Amino acid sequence: MSMQALNQLVARSIIDPGVVQAFNAGRIGDVLSDLDFTADLRGRLAQVRAGTWAEFAVLAYRIVRAEVQMPARIQLPSPVEGLLPKQERASKRHVA
Amino acid sequence: MISITREECQWLLGNLARGLVEYLGVVEPPVPVEEMLEHPPGNFDMDFGVVNMYSHLWDATFARTPSQRGSIFVRIDLNPEERRYSLAREALTAVVTSEHGRALGLPDLLLSSLREWGEYFARQLLAPDALVDAYRERGGDEDHLAGTFQMPGKVAALRWQDPSLALQ
Repeated sequence: MSMQALNQLVARSIIDPGVVQAFNAGRIGDVLSDLDFTADLRGRLAQVRAGTWAEFAVLAYRIVRAEVQMPARIQLPSPVEGLLPKQERASKRHVA
Repeated sequence: MISITREECQWLLGNLARGLVEYLGVVEPPVPVEEMLEHPPGNFDMDFGVVNMYSHLWDATFARTPSQRGSIFVRIDLNPEERRYSLAREALTAVVTSEHGRALGLPDLLLSSLREWGEYFARQLLAPDALVDAYRERGGDEDHLAGTFQMPGKVAALRWQDPSLALQ
């Protein structure tokens, strides 16, 4: 969804002068808040420093692409848990 | 100024073309390029004129008068597909050199290879990703792409090979 949101923003920028006006005024964060970015990604994009809107778009593309291509984190259980019988695990959790 | 890769430039141009197509409200091919030039978005009022010319030197070229009004000068004897392609290609020069294009910062990234990027932009404008994806899903093949999107055969062959911009 993040890349779709960025694509939508760049497409909009060619016909909507409000996008580049917001960028030039340092208010690109306001525009980003209307789009479907995660809060973390929106924060990182809002901090991108670029001389022009086109450069901002390319730098934003690099960030979003890296985010999209990052493999999903694998949630491994603690190695300790596998060594204990189920009931004992439950009681240890209870004590803790 | 940052350096930009080919892929990044293609991504940028594909989305700029998409913006114009969305402005036109196009949901199926062919994209009415000449209609867009005749009735441009407000921020390109001064940039999208079309002037028919007799010429043996070029198919189309973009130029501005001293008053900064821009027009695409296009050979009058081109066939409809060639005309659409030439106008779409030169439309990028109009966009990049327009007041809005300069405000976006497009000249810094695109001016040095404008001819090459114009050809890519034209393929994206005549056959945007969304419409090509839909065409493929309906079983459309390379042989009929040119006819469906009303573009020259050689251009359609290149468009068929262009990577999709949809990285989600």
